Amino acid sequence: MRTILIIVAVLSLVTLMLPSILFLAGRMELDTAKWIMLLATVVWFAAGTPWLWKRAN
Amino acid sequence: MSTEQQSQEAHGGSEFEREPVPQSKLLGFRSFVGMYAGEHTAGTELMIGPLFVAAGVSAYDVVVGLLVGNLLAVLSWVFLCAPIATRARLTLYYQLEKICGRKLVTLYDLANGVMFCFLAGAMVTVSATALGVWFHFEMPALDDLYPNSIGWVIAVLVSGAMIAVVAAYGYEIVAKVGEVASPWMVLVFVAFGLVGFRQFIDATGAQVASVSDVWTLAKTHICKGGDPLPGQTKFTFWHVMFFAWFCNMAMHIGMSDLSVLRFAKKSWYAVASGAGMFLGHYLAWLAAAILYAFQLHQDPSNTKVLPGPLAYQAAGLTGLICVIIAGWTTANPTIYRAGLAFQAIVPKAPRFWVTLVTGGIATVTGMFPAITMKLLGFVALYGLLLMPMGAVIFVDFWLIRKFGLQSSYAERSGATFNWAAGAAWLVTLAVAWGLVKYAGLQIFFVSLPGWFIAATLYIGLSVVYQKKLRPAVAEA
Repeated sequence: MRTILIIVAVLSLVTLMLPSILFLAGRMELDTAKWIMLLATVVWFAAGTPWLWKRAN
Repeated sequence: MSTEQQSQEAHGGSEFEREPVPQSKLLGFRSFVGMYAGEHTAGTELMIGPLFVAAGVSAYDVVVGLLVGNLLAVLSWVFLCAPIATRARLTLYYQLEKICGRKLVTLYDLANGVMFCFLAGAMVTVSATALGVWFHFEMPALDDLYPNSIGWVIAVLVSGAMIAVVAAYGYEIVAKVGEVASPWMVLVFVAFGLVGFRQFIDATGAQVASVSDVWTLAKTHICKGGDPLPGQTKFTFWHVMFFAWFCNMAMHIGMSDLSVLRFAKKSWYAVASGAGMFLGHYLAWLAAAILYAFQLHQDPSNTKVLPGPLAYQAAGLTGLICVIIAGWTTANPTIYRAGLAFQAIVPKAPRFWVTLVTGGIATVTGMFPAITMKLLGFVALYGLLLMPMGAVIFVDFWLIRKFGLQSSYAERSGATFNWAAGAAWLVTLAVAWGLVKYAGLQIFFVSLPGWFIAATLYIGLSVVYQKKLRPAVAEA
């Protein structure tokens, strides 16, 4: 379970960065980029919290 | 548990407050990387980058100045603070108490607590700007000193009250949220920069196909140099370099991070501070600078430095969440630290109420944009104020015995106020004030000569002081 959480969390960070890189390259609209970043944020906190919370203890 | 939490506990009196950290409790390098990266990627970074642009900085000055300044800051942690931290393994406060005596440490606590309060106030201000995006109230302008709308006062009050209450209950949960948010936050800051840069390309019609094109765009449109905005100090390479070096002066040269780095297995672990400097004080500042420069490019009359709207236009809701979390997670430990500093002055007062009152003071200061809009000067003042005590600790640890004098003199003599250290502190501040007021030296530059003045004064005054006051305990 922990491994899955880590993979999902890391992928969410990649997804967070990707829209801004695509926007920089002129391959994505800013509004689309903003929505994807928000989705990635939700996934990061959902998957990253149980993973890092334990480590923070 | 993070190193910061441990250091808080130590000052709070629960762990190794008055004894060296044992070998079994030492931490690895990774703990420090995470701690420094999180601590220095704060809400206020979104103020500092734009204020550089408002100060009329040029691209070369900001890019190279930050590189050199941040490197000097890391070296200060590595060569000044960490060697003492990993040898003595004591908190800053206990180390100071041994040298200065209880009463002088109390005075230091007061100064520290007041500065923490103002700093937390600036962080509350940053969080409140995010609420402005939702509720559309009038927010302060760059040259505002006082709150300019009821909506602003209420927003600061709400943000500040939430932060103060959480800090009063103990900020452990927020520290954990901060730890979870840290990697995400750093990437959101990077995204700010990438989005802002593209917006510049679109707005200017620039052709960017190489690094040289990027540099040309940066020079001609983002950080053009020239005159600062009205009411701002003109920033050159030297301003940027000294600002980057000294903005955390209280922590490295001022030795505040003795409390943190005493947990490091090796002294070189202090290079972990580079994570904070080059992510928070380089990438984040530059990214925020790009966003503000774009705002000015779009509308030169809109000089407001408001992290909330800046972040929102670049990253939407993600940007706003970032501003709120960045402000909240850094304001909380700052209020907590300020509360602990004040509690040391009134030890019988319950920590809950002291922290709550401290949070209240920070909230009130946050309503006044004067500090936040003048954050560059305030941060320089903060470092300057606490720096002389760092010089005293450095001299006391490494040099004083070479002059035939004794270290930790308050502990040896039983004095509660080491006048040599106290006078070194206050006279240095008076000289620095004189240099700023009468010699026309800007506050960003007085801390460097100030360190040498404090060190020299402490040695000179100790010669007189240690002759007058004989030690109660024979030297071991």
